[in-house]
Amino acid sequence: MVSKRVYVTWFAIHFFLITTVCFAGLFSLVAERATILPSALDTYARKAELVAAFLLGKHAAPPSPVRGSIATYLHAAGIQSGYTFFAPNIPGYHKLIFELNYQDGHIEYESPRFSGKAAALRLDSLLARLGDNRYEPLREVVVKMLALSIWRERPDVKKIRATFGLVSPPSISDFEQGKGELFEPMFSYDFSLRDEEKP
Amino acid sequence: MILLQRQWQKLLEFLFPAETDGWLAVFRVGVGLQVVVYALFLRRDWHSLFSTTGKGLVSRELGEAIASFDSPLIPKLGWLVAFGQLIGLGEGTVLSIAWACLLCMGCCLLVGLFCRPAAIIAWFLHLCAAESGALLAYGADNFITMALFYLMLAPLPDRYALDRRLVKTKLPDPRLLGFWRRVLQIHLCFVYFFGGLAKLLGSGWWNGSNLWRALIRPPLNLLSPDILIRFKYALPILGILICLIEIGYPFFIWMKKTRFFWLVCILTMHAAIGLTMGMYLFALVMIVLNLAAFGIGISIPFIGHPASDAPRPRSFF
Repeated sequence: MVSKRVYVTWFAIHFFLITTVCFAGLFSLVAERATILPSALDTYARKAELVAAFLLGKHAAPPSPVRGSIATYLHAAGIQSGYTFFAPNIPGYHKLIFELNYQDGHIEYESPRFSGKAAALRLDSLLARLGDNRYEPLREVVVKMLALSIWRERPDVKKIRATFGLVSPPSISDFEQGKGELFEPMFSYDFSLRDEEKP
Repeated sequence: MILLQRQWQKLLEFLFPAETDGWLAVFRVGVGLQVVVYALFLRRDWHSLFSTTGKGLVSRELGEAIASFDSPLIPKLGWLVAFGQLIGLGEGTVLSIAWACLLCMGCCLLVGLFCRPAAIIAWFLHLCAAESGALLAYGADNFITMALFYLMLAPLPDRYALDRRLVKTKLPDPRLLGFWRRVLQIHLCFVYFFGGLAKLLGSGWWNGSNLWRALIRPPLNLLSPDILIRFKYALPILGILICLIEIGYPFFIWMKKTRFFWLVCILTMHAAIGLTMGMYLFALVMIVLNLAAFGIGISIPFIGHPASDAPRPRSFF
């Protein structure tokens, strides 16, 4: 058996990283004012989040070996994100609706989809990420890719308008009063294929 | 100095308890089953999920670029595709082979054939898939990676594995078995403590609105809201109970008197998540992790003997 000291050292480093990742996630929620804690704690939470990010090597520029090594280990061990699933609150869900304008003038509405239920959960994750401001630079690219996947199935579509928005489900009392969910558009894009891109 | 040495000895005793390999057998079979189910669930969408621009739903290259931003050393399906191109295999063929290999490795783990190589290959392939589909990943992926990571490091094979029947090797060190079980146990305590704490900080878990929202949002809405509304007074109680079960886990799971009760509660919670929200992969991996960490050798109240021949997890209170 390898020396117990080696195991204990690995154990200490491993759980130090897990603790740091978990606290970083928790501080991030407090700093974003997503919790019931008083807003006076926001500044401290933001500072604490930065300390946690520093401990995880995130302060270094991307080619840094320290940052790279820590990130590789975290991903390899599946511990790169904290355990704040469905917390602190469950927001509405996001929806992407494609308005398909056909060459003959008629219009259809479609949403991106997978054939299996397991993959549908993944699509939900993707849409949740698109709604997150941190993914703002990727939004147009991802929506364009999703539009392209629709285009492959319907080559006679002339133009696609993609509307992304947040769906707020009714509260229990609203549901009892017969109210449904509310769709609040966040952004939309118009896409049309250039001749050379047509499938 | 003596005090320090005594503390060090106590720490070693805690981290290296003698264990049999019953928990490892459950862990191996459970993770193998998880890998098989994961592969089968994604069989129809595998190419849509992981193809490059112009073929898949979202380009694999985009997910890989995000993963590479953190570190270029994180494994990706792109590596396999690039290698396939060197030997004349197209992207579609490489993706199909990767899927078939993953399924095959899951089956090997299930029966205990080539345990260590199967665990390493399954970990690598699953990690490649999870990272290449980073934009489409969710919580279950992290837990599957974590389970495969611990499995490939654990002292395989266990006595129930086919490997042990084919090649007579000596049984692993009981203290090493204990160490890896302890790692799994402590990791689960972190998972539930932080999960419970984050939930307690949200007002929606105190008034039941979070449970309501979780259960009526697509694609998790397996139950009709008309049925749910009949239990509206139970939702706040259930919400608080979930938080208490999670935050109390790192304390009550170690106590001899409460361990069985807490384990049943947490397993019921995960089974309910699977059945009512359709998160089967997530539910299965959490049930496997809990059974391996605390389920084997547990004392069942009113019966009073361990459920298997394994020694009971040590009580600290």
